[in-house]
Parts: sequence; structure tokens; C-alpha cells
Amino acid sequence: MNTDYTFQGWLGKDAKSVEGNMVWEEFQPKPFTETDVDIKITHCGVCGTDIHTLRSGWSPSDYPCCVGHEIVGTAIRVGRAVSNIKVGDRVGVGAQCSSCLKSDCEECSAGLEHHCPRFVATYNAHHTDRSRTYGGYADYWRGPGAFVVKIPDGLTSAEAAPLLCAGITVFSPLKNNGAGPGKRIGIIGVGGLGHLGILFSKALRCDRVVAISRTGIKKHDAQAMGADRYIATDEEKDWAKSHSRTLDLIVSTVSSPKMPLGSYLKLLRTNGQFIQVGAPEDVLPSFSAFSLIAKGTKIGGSQIGSPKDIAYMLDFAAKEDVRPWVQERSLKEANQAIVDMEEGRARYRYVLVNEANAKL
Amino acid sequence: MSSDHKFEGWCGLDKDSVKGQMKWQPYDPKPFTDTDVEIRISHCGICASDLHTLRSGWGQTPYPCVVGHEIVGRAVRVGAAVTHIQPGDRVGVGAQSGSCLRPECEECASGIENHCQVSNTNTYAGFFPDGSKSYGGYADYSRVPGHFVIRIPEALDSAAAAPMLCGGITVYSPLKREGCGPGKRVGIVGLGGLGHFGVLFAKALGADEVTVISRSSAKKEDAMRLGADKFIATNEEADWADKYALSLDLIISTVSSPDMPLEGYLGLLRVRGTFIQVGAPEDKLPGFLAFALIVKGCKIGGSAIGSPKEIQEMLHLAVEKKIEPWIQERPLKDANQAVVDMNNGKARFRYVLRNEKHEA
Repeated sequence: MNTDYTFQGWLGKDAKSVEGNMVWEEFQPKPFTETDVDIKITHCGVCGTDIHTLRSGWSPSDYPCCVGHEIVGTAIRVGRAVSNIKVGDRVGVGAQCSSCLKSDCEECSAGLEHHCPRFVATYNAHHTDRSRTYGGYADYWRGPGAFVVKIPDGLTSAEAAPLLCAGITVFSPLKNNGAGPGKRIGIIGVGGLGHLGILFSKALRCDRVVAISRTGIKKHDAQAMGADRYIATDEEKDWAKSHSRTLDLIVSTVSSPKMPLGSYLKLLRTNGQFIQVGAPEDVLPSFSAFSLIAKGTKIGGSQIGSPKDIAYMLDFAAKEDVRPWVQERSLKEANQAIVDMEEGRARYRYVLVNEANAKL
Repeated sequence: MSSDHKFEGWCGLDKDSVKGQMKWQPYDPKPFTDTDVEIRISHCGICASDLHTLRSGWGQTPYPCVVGHEIVGRAVRVGAAVTHIQPGDRVGVGAQSGSCLRPECEECASGIENHCQVSNTNTYAGFFPDGSKSYGGYADYSRVPGHFVIRIPEALDSAAAAPMLCGGITVYSPLKREGCGPGKRVGIVGLGGLGHFGVLFAKALGADEVTVISRSSAKKEDAMRLGADKFIATNEEADWADKYALSLDLIISTVSSPDMPLEGYLGLLRVRGTFIQVGAPEDKLPGFLAFALIVKGCKIGGSAIGSPKEIQEMLHLAVEKKIEPWIQERPLKDANQAVVDMNNGKARFRYVLRNEKHEA
């Protein structure tokens, strides 16, 4: 087995890297152990978190950092203790690359690895051996095989990539909160996460899917994705009143501290739930306790899912023909891609293609 | 059966009534119909809602008002269409005295009358569909729709039952609904009328551990005597939020200050924990970071009272588990002073006004 490949990728050196200033350099991955897998990366989705991290938006980032956590490629080296993956498998890894996996960990032993107190992010974090984690805007990735999932045959690599973070981030709250026949779902924001929220809600056979956005620009696309209704909150007067009490579950993918949260809550029926997945760089807008008390409603949050959840979602997507709307960009143009992402131009997810590796 | 009862009670005439200026005078109750019940009041608990209403704290109160919605007494007149109550029964009514009760109403038909959207009448300062005003229990008699009148179990004293009709149910309902029971670690924020019921009911439902969270340690001894296992004094333990992080499955918050350390409370939740707000601030809830919910998959919700069926269930549990609320009886003629004392936080833990003219 050829193990003399070098780990090189797009590195952000400081907060200004987000403006299109990542540099292509070598980096030192964690030392390989028998529980690890090396992936030759062919595709990597561009996620909003990549932007927040390059910019140190949520907290200071640990530079140099290599972002990208919607990684798909081929397993080229598999540690002896890894049983779920073989060399040559088409595989992926999302936003989490490790947890403690101990039997006395309440979360890991309950299939909630993504809530383990020793959660390790795929980039901008550290493994327990103190080595840094690096993401997928690169040629190769190395990490624990327990967090590597097989990509089902029914999905192309470009389609599978965004599901590994964006997809699971909307699929989990839909599934965990009963989205399905009889339910009316609202999806706030029609972007990378939001468009997948619409596609998955339809695939889960919800009675009605309502796309909620600021302007009508995305209405046509939302309908093509399967939305039954569309609310343009900057354009429809008194929308909160006319659509009041019409939704059982809302998944909110937007992350502006100015979002009209009180009005969104009006859309919920009795005992309805509002699940926030987009993470603002500031506090959520304040709201009155009565908004929750009067209708027995709840506001929750959700992030990604466990490896088992991700595997289930990928199989579901393949079976139900859930096809993310991706736009392929060359990995060589990653800097331009992140600038375009920040400008809101993606329709609806950029996937960086490592052309050299994809030519296998 | 005599139907010429004089309806007289303590009337709030303006915002200053909360300062101990209610006036004893007659008023016109709703016209009697065959779905109504008249109660000769012996006991009425004092709820903080009474103060908010006398003061027009939540919105303009339609004065004159008679507050009090933890009413117990004897049914002295029962409409022909009311089948579950007999004249002479010891009965009670809580904070809700009307809903539409139509079969096509999703809420009424599914036993959550407290969330009826079509027509929902509060026991005081509200309006029935016929336009008449509702009057509460700081009075001699109450006339209310029989559907909301509950029989008090024989083994439960009237003075103990009265505060359960609003204070008790307001914490019992979310505790039950959110799975309080064996295996759960529950937190109760605030040790007042509602908070003390929170401790009693959480233990009665079988929670593994109950923690009281208060500002100072003044109520610590009382908390332990009520059955709490732990106590956190947030103004006295500087690093409480870190020290007790990730320790509670369910928190019921009975406090109503816009300054409460909400983010700290959310930090106490375990993975997938839930925070239910029942105290209603006269202002917006403090802001918090979306991350507080997202990282642990937690939820924040609200709850208000409960349905007649839930109230009945709660009273039976109170009998079964021999729940003894800490009440202090005050003569109805001293209602003004009792209201002032309640406002000054002196209740330990619920005042119950005793109408000494009427046998229990």
C-alpha cells in the first residue's frame, strides 16, 4: 500500500483568509493508528461553518486551519481495528471526527456521540493525543474510522457531500420531532440547509411544507424542490397573522440576530416546536415568555447527528431520491468559492471537486 | 334550591387596588344557564396572577374585577345539563372557567381545553361568549360553567386543594408531560407558591433527585424539609453555572424576572434536557445564545395551567402520595392585607383566604 502521500490543503492563516486568502500548503495530520482511516478526497461541500471558522466569527480560530467537513472520497488506508470500512470503499465524513466512545460515557453508549462531552470537530480542534484536526479542502483526510460512513451506491459523490453536514443537520430535527404524514412543516431560510429541509420534509411525506424566506427570489426554486407554500416575510404584509397557527414544526436555518422570532413563533400550532439549527454570532432575538406559555410551544436547537444517524439518512436519501441542488467548483478555485458562498450566491450548495483525485 | 345568593366580593377598581385597596361590593355574575354551577366559597388561594391583574401588569384589566382562581367550596346550585356534580358536593375551580367545547375544536376535542383558540375564558377579568364578565373567588359565591368544576377528593382538605387548582396544576402539568419520574433529575427554579408545589409534585412523581435553584440560601432549610435533595443559591455560589452544568434533565422555572440568568439555567441541562418556563415576566425573557440549545439538543418551552382532566389526575396523586402543601390561612375579611403581604413575598408558601361565613 502506498502510504507516502503528503497532506496538503487550503489553509486559513488569519481572519482575513475568509476574504479569499487561503493558501495551499502542507500540514501535519495526526499520527496514523489502527483505529484510523485515510481518505483520498474527491469532493468537499462548502458549509457556512467553514466561513464562520475562517473569520473567527464564533470564537477565535486556531490558525492555520483547513476547513471543510462534508468530505467524500476513497478509503486508501484502513487501520486493522476498523471493521466497518475496507480499502477502496467510497466513504465520507462530516462535522465530527471523534468522541470518547467509552462504555461509561452516557452519550456515546446511547448513540449520541455528537453530544459526547469529548466531541472533536473535524477541523479547528484537537484529538486526545493533542494533534490538530484538519478538514476537507485538501487532498487527503485522516481520522477515526468510527466516524467514517460508507456512501450508498444510489448517490453521486457530489450529492452525498452536502448531506454529511447540512443534510444531517436538518434531517435530525425533522425525524426527532415527528415530521411525517399528518404534519405541517415550515423551513426558514432557503439556502444550503434550508433547501435540504424542503427536500427531506417532502421525502418524509409531510402533509404540507412551507418555505419561509425574506424575499420572493427563491420562490420558484422552492416550489421546484417541492414546497407547497412560500412566505416572503419582507413582502407579505401581516404574514404572521395570516399564517398564524398553521405549522406543527419549524426548522430555522437562518442565523441573523434580527430575525423576527416572535412572529415565527406565531406560526406554530398548540404544542408546536421551533428548532433552531442556524447559529447566529449573537444572542437570539428576545421574545416574551407568553409566546411559549400561551400555546405550550417549545424552542429547541439541534446540530448534526451520530454516525449511525448519518448512515441512516444517506440510505434514506438514496432510496427516496433526495437530490441536493449542488454546483460543482474546482478545488483550485476554493478561494473564489468561499467568497461567493459568503455573498449568498450558492444555488444551493457548492461542492469543491478535487479534479486530480476524482480522475481515479 | 335557593338561587338568590348575593354575589358580593372584593373588587379591584383600579391599579391601586393591589396596594390593599380592594372594596367589598356587589357585582353581576354571568346569567345562570343549565350548564353552570354555583359554588358557596369556603377557600380561595392567592396567586401571583391575582396581583398582576389587580395592577394591570399584563395588560389593561377590565375593572371592576374580582380576582382569585383557586376556589373551593360547596356546589349549591347545579344546572340540569351538568351531570358530574351534585348539589352539596365539595368542588373547586381553577384559572380557566370556559372554552368552546365544540367537537370540531382540535384542542377541546383532544382534552387540552386550556389551549382552546375559539373561546377561552379566564375565571376572572375575562369574558364569556355571552359578553358577561367573569368574576373570581375573593367572594362569597362563584358561578361558572360546570365543565370546569372539579370534585375535590374526600381525603383532601379544602385548604390544601385550593392552591393546587392553579399553582399546583401549573407545575404538575409540565412535570408530567415532560416525563418527570424515576431516572430523572429535576430542577425547580424559585421556591414560592409554584416552586414549593414543584418540589412536592416532582418527588411525588418519583424523580430521582430534585434540586431547588434560588437566589439566596434563605429558603434552603425549607427546600430540604419539602423534600428537595439539593439546593443552589445563585447569588451566593459564584461559579454555580459551571459547577452544576449538565446535571438536570428537566427544569421548571417559576420565577418571573427579566434579569434571571437564563443562559446559566440552560447550562444546567443535560443533553436533550428541557427547560419549561411557567412564571410569566411582565417583560421579554433575557436573550441567550442559540448555541445554548444547539450544542446539547435542548429545548425551552412554556406551560400554563392544565385541563380539567389533568387537574383531577393531580388531585388523586395528591391524595395517593399524601401531599401536604405549605399553606397559611388568612380570613377573607383581611384580603387586602393578605394581598399586600403576598406582594412583599411573605407567603410561606401559599396564602389561602378562608371565608369564615361558610362551612368548609
